Parts: sequence; structure tokens; C-alpha cells
Amino acid sequence: MKEKRKGPIGRAAGLAEGLAATVRRMQREREPRVLVYDETGYARLVQPNGRGYERLLETAEQMVEVVDAGGDA
Amino acid sequence: MAGTLTPERTAERLCELSTDARAAVLLDAAGSLAGFHGVPQTESRELGELARELFEGVDRAHRDLPGGPPEQMEAQVEGGAVYASRTPRWTLAVVARRGALSSLMLMDLRAVLAELEGGPPIRRSSAAAEATSGPATEEAAARESPVPELGEDPRNGA
Repeated sequence: MKEKRKGPIGRAAGLAEGLAATVRRMQREREPRVLVYDETGYARLVQPNGRGYERLLETAEQMVEVVDAGGDA
Repeated sequence: MAGTLTPERTAERLCELSTDARAAVLLDAAGSLAGFHGVPQTESRELGELARELFEGVDRAHRDLPGGPPEQMEAQVEGGAVYASRTPRWTLAVVARRGALSSLMLMDLRAVLAELEGGPPIRRSSAAAEATSGPATEEAAARESPVPELGEDPRNGA
């Protein structure tokens, strides 16, 4: 079936949708998160209310700080 | 040649593979620091200790998660990202830039640990201009394999 041609409003709406999706993705990528992978590579997200989540984030932040302090020696 | 990567060189090897890797530490099965790169020696112990704590935290968090024991982990935090991978003998952790691609970092970690454990060395392809010593000619181009890994090593002069 032939795809219906979009008018100027439809094209503008499509662009806006794409832009909104990009902004949402960028926000999601900036959020702190912890993932663990089993031996098959299956990823599981450690939930923010899960056991050890805060500690894991703190430890990772400290590791980044140590490297920042070391100045990429 | 297999088995040429030493524990002391492992962290450096990982940082060579990825431009997004800033610093790395290698721990042995007892959790002792076996190698580091990207941080001064004074900071390396602290980084190693934190890497050990990281997997302790992963094991704690894993009790609430389905599936097998975690072998790798990733933490995205403000200012960077931390990736770590472990085998029964070694734990390798890396601090990377925020924009690092997770799948590539995790693959590099696995590959470097495999090399350390006697697996095949990681081969890096070089640009054609870098690899060929003589001037670029059509004859030389015709001899090149489109997949460098399958072709002859031009550095051998073969």
C-alpha cells in the first residue's frame, strides 16, 4: 500500500516527535544507573530502590573522583 | 603469541584499546592489586580497593535479581562511567568517559581478561596507509584482503 504523503503540518509534527525523543534519550542517558551482566551477557538493571544500589553508585562516583584527582596519570 | 600479557600490563592494555578508558586496575583472586594504569601509584591502591568494593556491592545487589551471578557490571555516574569484569582469577575495572559505548567497553574488558588467561592476543587493524610500507599501487591494493584479520600480515613483508 502506498504511504500517504505528509503535509507541512505532518512533517513538522514528525520533526518535533523526533526531537522530543532525542531529548528524552539524552536525559535518560544522563541519569545515574547500574547494570549487571551475567555470563551470557544478559543485562539486569539494579533498581534505585534495590539492595546495594546507593552503595554501588557511591563507590563508582568515588572511583571517578580518584581518577579525576590523579589527573589521568 | 598467546600468554604474553602479564598482570602488570593488563590495565595498560585495556586503556590502549579504548580511547574512552581513563584508568584501570586489575585485582587478583584475593582482591589484591595486580596492576594499574592511568592513576599515580599513590591513588592506585585506593582505586583497587574501590574496585573490590564494587563487586562486593554487585554480589549484594544480585541477591534481589534473577539470573546467574554477575560477571560484568556498569555504573553510569556524573562525570564518568565505571565498568568491571571478573573471572574466577581476576577482576578488571575501568573508569571511562561518560560517552563511552557500554557494549564496546564490556567487550574490551572480556577480551583483555581472556588474553591475560592465555587466550589469543587481541589483534588491532591498522589503516592501510599505515600498514603498507611502500607507495600505494594498484598491485599492492589488489593483494590486500578486505578483511585484514584474514589476510597476510603486511608487517611480515609476506
